[in-house]
Amino acid sequence: MPPVSHSFSRAPRASIIVPAYNAAATIAETLESLLAQTFTDFEIVVVDDGTPDRTLDVVALYDDPRIRVVRQANRGLAGARNGGLMAARGAYVGFCDADDLWEPGKLAAHVAHLDADPEVGISFSGSRFIDAASRPLGLAQSPKLKGITALDVLCRNPIGNGSAAVVRRATFDRIAWRPATDSRPWWFDERFRQSEDIECWARFVLSTDWKIEGVPGLLTRYRVNPGGLSANLEKQYESWERMIDRMAEIAPAFVARHAPAARAYQLRYLARRAVSQRDGRLALSLLARALNASHRPLLAEPAKTCSTVAAAALLSAFGRDGYALAERAILTARSRFA
Amino acid sequence: MTRKVVHLIDDIAPGGVMRMLRHMAEGPAIGRDHSHEIRRIRRGALVAPRLEADVIVSHLTVTWMNVPLLTGLRALNPDVPMVHVEHSYTESFVAMHAVPRQRFATLMRVSYAMFDRIVAVSAPQAAWIRRRGFAPAERVVTINPSVDLSPFLALTPRLEGAPKVWCLIGRLDAQKGFDVAIRAFRAAAGDDESLMVFGEGPERDRLEALAEGDARIRLVGWADSPAEAIAACDAVLMPSRREAFGLVALEAQAAGRLLIVSGVDGLAEHQRHGAIAVGANSVEAWTETLRRLRHGGEAERILQGRQRARRAARAFQAAWLELLDDLAAPVGFATAA
Repeated sequence: MPPVSHSFSRAPRASIIVPAYNAAATIAETLESLLAQTFTDFEIVVVDDGTPDRTLDVVALYDDPRIRVVRQANRGLAGARNGGLMAARGAYVGFCDADDLWEPGKLAAHVAHLDADPEVGISFSGSRFIDAASRPLGLAQSPKLKGITALDVLCRNPIGNGSAAVVRRATFDRIAWRPATDSRPWWFDERFRQSEDIECWARFVLSTDWKIEGVPGLLTRYRVNPGGLSANLEKQYESWERMIDRMAEIAPAFVARHAPAARAYQLRYLARRAVSQRDGRLALSLLARALNASHRPLLAEPAKTCSTVAAAALLSAFGRDGYALAERAILTARSRFA
Repeated sequence: MTRKVVHLIDDIAPGGVMRMLRHMAEGPAIGRDHSHEIRRIRRGALVAPRLEADVIVSHLTVTWMNVPLLTGLRALNPDVPMVHVEHSYTESFVAMHAVPRQRFATLMRVSYAMFDRIVAVSAPQAAWIRRRGFAPAERVVTINPSVDLSPFLALTPRLEGAPKVWCLIGRLDAQKGFDVAIRAFRAAAGDDESLMVFGEGPERDRLEALAEGDARIRLVGWADSPAEAIAACDAVLMPSRREAFGLVALEAQAAGRLLIVSGVDGLAEHQRHGAIAVGANSVEAWTETLRRLRHGGEAERILQGRQRARRAARAFQAAWLELLDDLAAPVGFATAA
């Protein structure tokens, strides 16, 4: 198909926001995957979030008129997405982090979904995990797609990652506000440096009644970076608790009732991360906290919960030697039940 | 000859509804040409009354329990125009309580189908009802409620100086978000400022605990009248988590008090008429807003609010008169009078 030329006088139907910070190594592959979309009426808004590296030099190699760059002083991921939203002109807005990839049919699937059902505010899809070299890890997020409730969002975050959603601009604007400390509007809460996605989706579902709904298929390739520090898991948990506090301001009765189960799922998720970081002791302590919070994950997903416990116990007992075994256990369960 | 309007209210109707009805009955045109009767109906009553009326106006709460009642009303009074005023439900209500989407839509459609008109009490609520398709768009009309505002208009507006006495007025219920405002006040206010909380309700203990040890905050129960409560303060805070309209806003504006609202649902409408909206309804956003406003200088907004309140009572009367004229036989030919 020949490239379609788009004049700037007419807004494209869709915008794809690509927040970029230290992404020189990965952003080319990301842009290639976006430019290869079968639905072509879109713009790409690359947000240079004050990146110190050569990301912009890489972007400049592409002379596709659909790519625009906006620059701002560093604000973090939430602030970069907000900067992108300010610049975006499409009625539908997607997000793709500068190290993730979209399958060619992804935008087309979401545009068709949002066109077909005007009640859908956020459209998402499942994701495949890839490693640093873009190789598939054999793992996937295949979440529940229909009938998504606030409880689903809080416990299981079906949207899954920051490169899975395409939103209807008009509905997304309903959750924007202008904080007294900033001259710009916020959709994502910039006080959060982690949990900014789930904060936004949870706030959306607890303060509007638009539908969050998925389309079939694993349409995002989400890059999982190995390693990481255990200390970050504790930090991640703290930011998740701040998110819950914020939701309790909006919907106190709902949160009081469901926070224990949501907390258990979150701690189990972090335990699985601890396993992949080979920290068995931390994984076990996170699992103990999870089960103290609620038995829901054990009852609702016994295999996944038990395999996580087994993997953590193996790691803890046998250290790194037990890791191969532990990981195999967790991988099997994950691909079956994730 | 006058038209007979029968208002149906729940046994647990909020006080604001009663005051609105009184105002309607006393209004110049709709009071003169209409007789108003108020009928209390037990929630979930299975037997609907046959009513001698030219127009039936429901202020009932739509629930599954009330579906038989609404169906019976329609069946037993087939020739009487029926209006429903939606005092309760809003977008934030269904979102914050995670109300099952499809089931709720069915309830609303089934219930609203019994009525010739649905009166939304604010433009945002009307937009939501239309968007969700609870009733055909042309049957949805927006009429802001009003009450007798003369006791509030008689107060001297607080145009000069910095606000020192802030207040919260309403039922002490989680819906009203008073907990958010109390926490923000504790963080933001100086020693010479105070916060008066008027009202009673199930959240009292929790709010008292939040205010404990801070002598600037006083939970004083209900005032003898809303005007008396507002007279005692400089600014009115409405941190509601959901609010179909918020009559207190109109009263505060009539009194010439600075009005600050959370911006949810119907409260967004007050923002267009001089109220300050905090944006995010969070402790942090309220704290920032209270700090910013402590120096005063909002006279223009206060006057804008007062102008709006002056118009509100007339607009309310005119809109109801138009609706009743539209639905019922001309005055003079009324059947039931």
